[in-house]
Amino acid sequence: MNNQDKLKLSHNIALITGIFCAAVALLLLLNFWQITKTDPIESKALEALVQRLKDDRNNEELKEEIRNFDLLARKAYFNSQWQVETGAYMLLFGAIVLAFVLRVYYAAKSKIEEPEKVLENEIASRIIAQKGIVIVGAAVMVLALLASYLSVNQLKSYDANALVAENETTADEAVEVINVAPEQTAINEVSEEVAVNETTASENVTEVQSEDASPETPVTETKPAAASSGMTLAELQKNHNSFRGPLAQGVIMHKNIPTEWDGAGGTNVVWKVEVPKHGFNSPIIWGDKLFVAGADNTTREVYCYNRNDGKLLWTGVADNISGSPTTPPRVTDDTGLAAPTLTTDGKAVFAIFATGDVIAFDMNGKRLWARNLGVPDNHYGHSSSLISWNGKLLVQYDTNRGGKVMALDNKSGETVWETQRNSKISWASPVLAEVDGKYQLLLTADPIVAGYDVETGEELWSVECMMGEVGPSVGYADGIVVAANEYARMVAIDIRTQEVLWEDDFYLPEASSILAHDGLVFVATSYGVFVCYDLKEGELLWEDDFGSPVYSSPVFADGKVYLMDNDGVMRIYEFSRELKKVGENELGEMSGPTPAFADGRIYIRGENDLFCIGK
Amino acid sequence: MRNQLNQNKNQNCFGLRIPDIRHKLKYLLFTFAFFLFTFNLSAQKQRFPKPEFDTGYTQPTPVTPEPRALAMEYFDVLVLLLVLAAATYFALKSRSRQGILWLSVFTLVYFGFYRNGCICSIGAIQNVTLTFFDPAYAISLTALLFFVIPLVVTLFFGRTFCAGACPLGAIQDLVVVKPISLPKWLNKTLGLIPYLYLSLAVLFAATGTDFIICRYDPFVGIFRMDAKFLMIVLGIAFLLMGMFVARPYCRFLCPYGVLLSWMSRFSSRHLTITPSKCIQCKLCTHSCPFDAIDFPTNEKEVVKSGLGPKRFITYALVIPLWIALGVFVGAKSHTFLSKANQDVYLAELLIAHPELRNDPDNIDVQTFLASGKPMEQLVSEATAIREKFYIGSMIAGGFMGLVIGMTLLNTVVFRKRQDYEPHKGNCFSCARCVDYCPVEK
Repeated sequence: MNNQDKLKLSHNIALITGIFCAAVALLLLLNFWQITKTDPIESKALEALVQRLKDDRNNEELKEEIRNFDLLARKAYFNSQWQVETGAYMLLFGAIVLAFVLRVYYAAKSKIEEPEKVLENEIASRIIAQKGIVIVGAAVMVLALLASYLSVNQLKSYDANALVAENETTADEAVEVINVAPEQTAINEVSEEVAVNETTASENVTEVQSEDASPETPVTETKPAAASSGMTLAELQKNHNSFRGPLAQGVIMHKNIPTEWDGAGGTNVVWKVEVPKHGFNSPIIWGDKLFVAGADNTTREVYCYNRNDGKLLWTGVADNISGSPTTPPRVTDDTGLAAPTLTTDGKAVFAIFATGDVIAFDMNGKRLWARNLGVPDNHYGHSSSLISWNGKLLVQYDTNRGGKVMALDNKSGETVWETQRNSKISWASPVLAEVDGKYQLLLTADPIVAGYDVETGEELWSVECMMGEVGPSVGYADGIVVAANEYARMVAIDIRTQEVLWEDDFYLPEASSILAHDGLVFVATSYGVFVCYDLKEGELLWEDDFGSPVYSSPVFADGKVYLMDNDGVMRIYEFSRELKKVGENELGEMSGPTPAFADGRIYIRGENDLFCIGK
Repeated sequence: MRNQLNQNKNQNCFGLRIPDIRHKLKYLLFTFAFFLFTFNLSAQKQRFPKPEFDTGYTQPTPVTPEPRALAMEYFDVLVLLLVLAAATYFALKSRSRQGILWLSVFTLVYFGFYRNGCICSIGAIQNVTLTFFDPAYAISLTALLFFVIPLVVTLFFGRTFCAGACPLGAIQDLVVVKPISLPKWLNKTLGLIPYLYLSLAVLFAATGTDFIICRYDPFVGIFRMDAKFLMIVLGIAFLLMGMFVARPYCRFLCPYGVLLSWMSRFSSRHLTITPSKCIQCKLCTHSCPFDAIDFPTNEKEVVKSGLGPKRFITYALVIPLWIALGVFVGAKSHTFLSKANQDVYLAELLIAHPELRNDPDNIDVQTFLASGKPMEQLVSEATAIREKFYIGSMIAGGFMGLVIGMTLLNTVVFRKRQDYEPHKGNCFSCARCVDYCPVEK
């Protein structure tokens, strides 16, 4: 084969392989485009079928159709994958051949250049090289220096920052009590029309030292309580002063609770108002006043409404609180900055936010005190609600730095007692239980379900039975505490003997708290199954699989159980050992909070609006 | 011979008389093919989630692949030895460019596509470094041999490793189509980069921070047919550039090339352009795509230039200043450089942004929190690593100062040369030039 033949052959092969490569590449490009454009897992047809299945859950034919569709999508996808892989190897092969024949072609075609005079630019080139080396060398040095001056050695500032990081502890120890002197404070005036913003309050700071608490042993620090502003149980039962009503047990004593309404259509909607700022906290009621809170990254507010006509009476702003972070902590959208429900003792209303700010207003919106408990180290956002008993504001403060529970004086905000808990972070809320004439605070978290003396904070008992990220609060009735958490278990504990009466792990709630009342236990799972158990035996009595997610908690009222799902549909069941659905009413907007009840009325907080349901 | 080669200059191809357009079309085709190659590789990264319903399919348990058998590792060493011996034979004894070319193809297939670019002598620098600085790390004999053997061979025979035994060199060498000659000043200036890369690679390996040579190997993604999109793009970009600027990675980045270059300068039996006496025909002057042929010294020009002993002494005296400057800059840069370390990065992140502890999407932070390691321990470890960086950065800076000073000094050193000779340090022993020499043995 002479050079001419070599040239011709290599050229022809190069052309053929070039066309081959281009064709394969084009097909791959089309395949790539097809894969990126059509996402098989978000097929509209599949979504439509799944949606249809939600409405018709027992349609086996539809299920089979979905399976076939899914299989088809998978086959198509993996076929594309195979094509991409095979095409890649074909292209690689073609590219290798192309590179090779091109080399042969150019080798055969190359000519010897005419010899040139050398050394013409050798010296000049060296001189330029010297300049280049100096410039590049200097540039490297300067860039390195610049980078070094722009870099901050954060490690050096660790000690100082560590103090800030431990703020959660120090802030607890150094209690800042804000006494609002009348002449120094701009008070939110009660207004029928416009809420008045709170302005700066002068702060008298009192430091209260506390001893270091060992994480191993629950330690309680008790200070003399201020004059009691306690309420009677009868008073509580007339109102709805905390998350899930009196004692936070989810048992309401009011009567004539509506069972039919249509939020969107306005049927049996007494009033509906838009809440200025978003929050997942539930409404609470005292007398004619209804309270909710809202927050965003700029402000945190408490709203007081006239529950009869929905008028905003006042707005209290939680600002100028010493120790409060300048930027709120990062929280997830489904928790937010105002997840904990407020509480009231009839004289003041108390709120806590994800920033760790606790604030008290009197019933007319006058700011009484405020303090920051230390920014809770909570990756979703703090959500444990407040509860008040016998002049004390009870705060469950389980964070990533450990668990603790504390009682603040309702009037001053000072710490009355504080107990370290052998627990991890939790999102559950405290529940009050009367046991043998004394009140206990029932808390659940990973790994313990425990009872605390409301007066002293002493841990009275604990049972190690819980795990995971605990969100549901306990249910309590008939001397039995029922605690549960998704991916863990549900346990019924005898509060006097701490004996585990029964346990189950089939239907478990994720966020919805447990309702225990009069021999029955109700649990709502996050995937939309509402289940009734026998309280004493743990026997599953009935279940209703409606399929909508539920974060709200079931509430007993007027002989029925009310359960709101996240889509804003409230299902009403007869309080019975058999499944009897009384009604199903739509709010017209999403809803996560638990409703509040009053005689003849239900107050529901939706995604944006506050509804008063009744006649 | 020249006539025979020149007669093809205006060759008709398929009746077309527009050779320039034809060439351009080929380049475009080649470029297009490589870019498309990039797309399909990235497409393979997608995954399909498991079905939400029970299919009866049993999900296989993930299995960690077994490491390569020891015998096979030694086989790799044997292959390396054989390839090096063959490359040396082809470069020095048979003077066969064709032999080296086919050897490159074999190396590319075996060490590149079959062995997926690992183990490689270039990356072994880091293993060797870590062995010295981390008592808990024991280098494998294979890695050590892959590091040492090419250096020893180079010490005697020049960079025949680069010619035919390095898969990174091979893939670049095979795409050299239309190389252009770079000016000497650019070659010299860009030649500083491998030293910088080497010093950083050693610094990061010594501090247990990262194996940056492996992480930023532009060709390993192509060898494995599976890499991050940007790395594939980088590899393709190097290959495209390599069609015109021959072996860009070898010349202006390869840290192992620095060591090989040092060794090669002392090689007693290096490749020569001419098998016997140079007849000064100058046919080889443009034969090297890597600008690695030194021309005869024109003493008159040198004397006239003023780049004589005076400047040599000046530059020699300035070297300690360059070193001092490098040490100073290194000391200052240690904070910045140490941020590349994962522990330092995490500690600083948590100190500067404690709120990130609440960020469930920050996998680094959440993994640390889940580990249960106290913050104090993390900060303490990070501080210790930063201390290592302080010393290491000063050494690396001093080394770079020395390199700059020596490179500068080298520009005023003229070695007396009467023939056209390969530059022992820069020559890859690819034997292209020998085909241009009309002198018979």
